Amino acid sequence: MAPALEADALTIVRGGQPALRGVSFAVRPGEVHALLGGNGAGKSTTLLAFLGFLAPAQGSVRVEGADVGADPAHARRRIAYLPENAALYGHLDAYENLGYFLGLAGLRAGRGAIDAALDRVALAAAARTRRLEAYSKGMRQKVAIALALLRETPILLLDEPTSGLDPVAIDEFNRLLRELAGAGRSVLMVTHDVYGACQVADRIGLLRDGALVGRFEATPGARIDTEAVHAAFVARETA
Amino acid sequence: MTAALRIARAEWGYWRHSRLLLAALAVFGLLLAAIAVLSAARIESEATRRAAQQQAAEQAFTTQPDRHPHRMVHYGHYVFRTPPPLAVFDPGIDAVAGQALFLEGHRQNSAAFAEAPSAAGVGAFGVPHPALAYQLLVPLLLIALGHAAFAREREAGTLAPLLAQGVRPGQLAAGKAIALGAAALAMLLPAAGLAVLAVAHGEAPAIAALQVLLYAGYLGLWVLAVLLLGALLPRRADVLGALLLAWLATALVLPRLAASHAVAAVPASGKIAADIALLEGLRNAGDGHNAADPAFDALRRQLLAQHGVERVEDLPVNFRGMVATIAEERLTALLNEAAERRMAQERAQSARLAAFAWASPTLATGIASRALAGTDLAAMHRFQREAEALRFEFVQGLNQVHAHALRYADDIQRSVDPEAERRTRVDASHWRLLRAFTFEPAAPAARRDNASAAGAALAAWLLALALGLRFAVARLRP
Repeated sequence: MAPALEADALTIVRGGQPALRGVSFAVRPGEVHALLGGNGAGKSTTLLAFLGFLAPAQGSVRVEGADVGADPAHARRRIAYLPENAALYGHLDAYENLGYFLGLAGLRAGRGAIDAALDRVALAAAARTRRLEAYSKGMRQKVAIALALLRETPILLLDEPTSGLDPVAIDEFNRLLRELAGAGRSVLMVTHDVYGACQVADRIGLLRDGALVGRFEATPGARIDTEAVHAAFVARETA
Repeated sequence: MTAALRIARAEWGYWRHSRLLLAALAVFGLLLAAIAVLSAARIESEATRRAAQQQAAEQAFTTQPDRHPHRMVHYGHYVFRTPPPLAVFDPGIDAVAGQALFLEGHRQNSAAFAEAPSAAGVGAFGVPHPALAYQLLVPLLLIALGHAAFAREREAGTLAPLLAQGVRPGQLAAGKAIALGAAALAMLLPAAGLAVLAVAHGEAPAIAALQVLLYAGYLGLWVLAVLLLGALLPRRADVLGALLLAWLATALVLPRLAASHAVAAVPASGKIAADIALLEGLRNAGDGHNAADPAFDALRRQLLAQHGVERVEDLPVNFRGMVATIAEERLTALLNEAAERRMAQERAQSARLAAFAWASPTLATGIASRALAGTDLAAMHRFQREAEALRFEFVQGLNQVHAHALRYADDIQRSVDPEAERRTRVDASHWRLLRAFTFEPAAPAARRDNASAAGAALAAWLLALALGLRFAVARLRP
């Protein structure tokens, strides 16, 4: 079976500078894969390449075996993308935001389905009819996650998904991710959060200056060693 | 519902949410409606007044008592340039060129304002007309509504999730274009109302429709320009600055530069200077009031030979009337030649101005709009020619009465002999030779042809912007 996501010797150039340098990795079906790295490491660039928003200068990106450059529409149909800062419309409420984005994706979801998704991300019912401009960052993030759930795509790309969430919400989110992976959905998340990544990821890639400089993998029955990843992360960042 | 329509609806929703944009829409809508109503009332009142004045002038001429025909040549007559039906939308030169012309013997007068209130629109604080509002103000509204169409999504980070839902950049641009285009169409409602009013007053429906279509194209062009710069530039402040600069350059600065260039490039002498330059030619043509002027010696010899008589007193026609006729003919030929020279200079200036239409869609729209409405320079020239034809016709008609209905002997004695003077008064029924004058717009086909070059410039702009937008949107990235 083809990997859900695959980057092969991927090089991306942005503004004349290489943002990714020959990065290769794959995300298997049902796997939670995290990319860790500091600012400017190339994490978000990687996600945008899988969505077909950035064309490789060299190498390739594939979604379920299909080259993204050749068919970006296929990639976008198969992927639910949660951008950094949960970019949604402040003048719309949660229902309107979700209805709009789902409509654009060619999907229809009734109030019941939307409520079920919002229940899963634990967004208070009373908040759902309020405009998002009155939401905290964490609440907006929950709506964005609900959208990713409602898309019911086999692949999720998450950009700093736990940013702005409180510890309880982060735990709930991590449980949700494991549940989704258990149901066969593949997740590629990029984050600064070493602890969170180790809690939830099956494999972790360490990005620095656009290059993949470290890889970690959970063993059966045990999560990835946070101390080891943290040490590698800090060592790389301060090198 | 298609993705483009969803995006358009979302854009309208955003406008509804923004009180500032709602207020801008309401203010512009009310402003346009008010200008349309005021303009319609003003032009209709002008048309009615000038038509009434024309009738009154004709009645005053034809009801003059019995008198010497040459006195009627100097009594003269007024003609009025009634505004065409589409002047309610674009009065064009109406406010800045005279609407009334005094016709008399031996002169071609300049047009003057029919009434003092007619000149009120000339000043800097004159009443704005709908065409001007559409050319200058509505683009500003479109800029206000649409400049942030893409930049807002980019700045809020919503562009990436939008495109990630599978929306193609072309669909996104189409949705934004539908939203902004619908606002432009809504703003066109007063223009459409005025076009219907013009048709009710006799305008050709095709020309009225073409006028509305012209402004739809012009506003469509601004919709494309707003979206093009919005897609190209990253921040909404950049987009707004660039659009305002484009508006300033193409709608305000270039048309004025073009006018200054046209005047400098084609120097025109003007009516007074042309009249002074004509004086020598007119002197050589002879004084029609003086039958003894050597300029008419050849005429005298020719008439005497033609009728086989020795003295002008023995001619079967009044020599003075014949002199007046031939003098008017010579003088009119000179005046017409000078008038055609002046009009050619004005046309050359106009052509220079029109060349700038390729650089300024606002100028192109203004030129095409005035041509379609029949309120352009060509209409003014036609008015001058038609008025001159009437002047020559009735003056020569009176000169013929002078030549054939009056005896020469009475004519030369009338200042010293009261009986002779009485006999030189012809019957007032002769004054009915004056033809009724109505100034009608040029034929629709002629106006359409006059508008075609500027219309082509506008179409080229539309095409270029559409292609530019397509290019920019294809490269739209989060």
